[in-house]
Amino acid sequence: MTRHRLACAQVPLFPLAARLRSEPDLRDEAVAVLAGHGDAARVVAATKRARRAGVRAGFTLAQARARLPKLIARPQDEECERAAQEALLDVAESFSPRIEDAGDGTVYLDVDGLDRHYRPRDGDGDDGGAELALGREMVLAFEQRAGLLARVGFASSKLAAHMAAQQPDSPAIVDAGREAEFLAPLPLARLTPQASTLGTLEQWGIHSLGDFARLPASEVISRLGPAGEVLHAIARGEDPKPLVPRTPPPAYREGLELDWPLVNLEPFLFTARAALERLVGRMQRRGLGCHRLELSLDLEGDGHHERSLTLPAPTRDLKTLLTLVRLDLEAHPPGAPILAFRFTAHPDQPRSAQMSLFGPEALSPDKLATTLARLFALLGPDRVGSPRPVDGHLPERSDLVPYAPPPPPRERPTPQSGCGLLAVRVLRPPVPVEVMVTGNAPADAPPPSDPDPAAHPAPSRPLSVKSLLGEETRRRPKIQGAVRVASGPWGLEEGWWQENPTTRDYWDVELSSGGLYRLFRERTSGDWFVDGVYD
Amino acid sequence: AAAWSPWMSALAHLIPADFARRHLRTGRELVRERQRQPSEHLLSTGVKAFDAALGGGLRRGALHELSGRRGGRFSLVLEALAAATAGGDAAALIDLGDGLDPQLAKRAGVVLERVLWVRPRTLKEALASAEAILATAMPLITLDLGLPPIPGGRGHEASWLRLARQAQDQRVALLVSSPYRVSGTTAHAVVELRQHRVGWSGEGARARLLDGLGGQLEMVKGDRDRVATPYDVRWRVPSAVAPNPAEAKATPTRSATATAPSGRGQAGAPRPQTARPRRSPSSAAGSRLRAIA
Repeated sequence: MTRHRLACAQVPLFPLAARLRSEPDLRDEAVAVLAGHGDAARVVAATKRARRAGVRAGFTLAQARARLPKLIARPQDEECERAAQEALLDVAESFSPRIEDAGDGTVYLDVDGLDRHYRPRDGDGDDGGAELALGREMVLAFEQRAGLLARVGFASSKLAAHMAAQQPDSPAIVDAGREAEFLAPLPLARLTPQASTLGTLEQWGIHSLGDFARLPASEVISRLGPAGEVLHAIARGEDPKPLVPRTPPPAYREGLELDWPLVNLEPFLFTARAALERLVGRMQRRGLGCHRLELSLDLEGDGHHERSLTLPAPTRDLKTLLTLVRLDLEAHPPGAPILAFRFTAHPDQPRSAQMSLFGPEALSPDKLATTLARLFALLGPDRVGSPRPVDGHLPERSDLVPYAPPPPPRERPTPQSGCGLLAVRVLRPPVPVEVMVTGNAPADAPPPSDPDPAAHPAPSRPLSVKSLLGEETRRRPKIQGAVRVASGPWGLEEGWWQENPTTRDYWDVELSSGGLYRLFRERTSGDWFVDGVYD
Repeated sequence: AAAWSPWMSALAHLIPADFARRHLRTGRELVRERQRQPSEHLLSTGVKAFDAALGGGLRRGALHELSGRRGGRFSLVLEALAAATAGGDAAALIDLGDGLDPQLAKRAGVVLERVLWVRPRTLKEALASAEAILATAMPLITLDLGLPPIPGGRGHEASWLRLARQAQDQRVALLVSSPYRVSGTTAHAVVELRQHRVGWSGEGARARLLDGLGGQLEMVKGDRDRVATPYDVRWRVPSAVAPNPAEAKATPTRSATATAPSGRGQAGAPRPQTARPRRSPSSAAGSRLRAIA
């Protein structure tokens, strides 16, 4: 029977390793991770420096501090461990598409056939040399990409691979078919049987896996039942359960429980940056971009703050994401000190562009998405987009739609010369001005029925224009001067069915200063405004 | 060369004369052909005078500055956007003054779907936006600083230098339109625009209609051959310009008022002969406005 080769990657002292991944500055310090609260808290893992000073697992904090007063204590952080486990799985997936999440810093990989892609070093020998090379690559990748020091073991069964990963020399190889031989000297407790089963076996005088494996299978089944059958198969180096491949997560999460509450935004962003960096790195390894980013904050006093940021297109630009988080928190402050945070990134495939041989180049969708997200963060979504004509009459009307340029033509059209259109620079909102007019008939006088214009007086014409002084107009263009030529008026009416319709009389005026403006008078109020400059 | 010449003359005898006439070019002919073809490094702005002043168009990978208080600066920006987008390129307008009229831009031939319109509030935001957009390597980015006073002054020269360097790296033609010079020494070419005259039609005080605007372009920095040479430009009001074919095909929009066709709102319409002229404040809406006279 052909048996699959499996690899097991295990991170020793996983709670500590996960914590140090989130706080890499503590790697060289004497640190202990404690589980539990108050006096019941016990050390579960400690760094080498702390262990050298005598700190052991199971100590209370007081006992540990008695041995090492400068010991840095950290609580066991589920968020950190979950993020570290996901990072471990991500790196494992870059080696094999079939991996099983065993939890607590352990992952199984189906490495059948992978050894063909790795060349053994000189002196490794032909048997297992390629697996050794693969194991070294894996150890290096776990350290560099996930920030975790993992040990790797190879075997044809999960227990054998797991036991091999606990060997001091990593990577360790158990040759195919020799799993039972490798497991034989190990104590029976490694099988993690039920206490009653373990007691029964010890009463029989069986203390090692080898002793147990030598018993006839049928006798074991008749006395211990199905549970005994499973344990016996494992002891013989066989896997009763196959490897269960992991399905990729729908979202990526990174977070941290803080040691002390953070009140200000800057220190929070400093901490959040590291988490976002890890998040972006994990998505990058799978060639994905963040389509939606969710931020969950645990606040002092059992408060909770949730924010969701939707990006215009998938991106994995760290600076953009961090800027978006900053702007969003500035606009929506949590209102209480932050105790813990968690980012959840919903991934999506980045868009790709079709290259053209003869036509204009298309924009890179990935770069465009990043740029749009950055502009949104900088200016807000109402100030970035593609202009769209609007049905209506008011000259200042405008609309924005999301920017999504159509694909460029296959061939570049022949360039045409421009039409030489005189553009109007719209002033939004219109600049209020003071206008001196001639004292004839008002501009909104009803049109004469007599077709002879000479028989009727001309409407009031602007003589001079001057910007109104005030705080609102201080930063607006200064418009002042005598009117050299005026042309108008032309009426504009919009929304006559509404309560406050817009009714204006427009003039084109050239001032003595040389400026050419579009001027209007509100018929209802009689106020004058400049809403455009011919330029 | 002396050793090669007998071989070359022998080779020349082997090639039929009519084949050589049809298929072979001398070096001088190749240079002439190359000069006649538009360079891929130059982006035409669609304004002949401006292209001539720049030596063929906006150079990709360089910062150009167009300065001047009036004379059609914004019209020129729209023409450049129209030329780029009609050619299938994407373009950006960073509009510090928020002065774009989408209806008018469409009339000018700008393909609005290809234009990224960014409306910053200050010069600092405008520069940051330009820097962000430069990363996309859009062929044309126009930065219009609006009318004076510019919110944020002239900006730091280092910012302009960074923009120029980034434009060079990304091979982007960057056009800065400003009422006064802002980019210091970083611009590849600086063209000043001055208003020449305002064209009015009609006689007397009561029958004047705006016809257009004349301006004069003068390169103040750039190619030595073209510096200080004035180039005239002329801009015409929308009613005097043939409508954009794309716009002409568009379905007429719903009218809000009972309107009478304007005298100058449509191309080719007869000019009103009455003393009180009828026309629109804006080209696109011109045909839908009711003259009160």
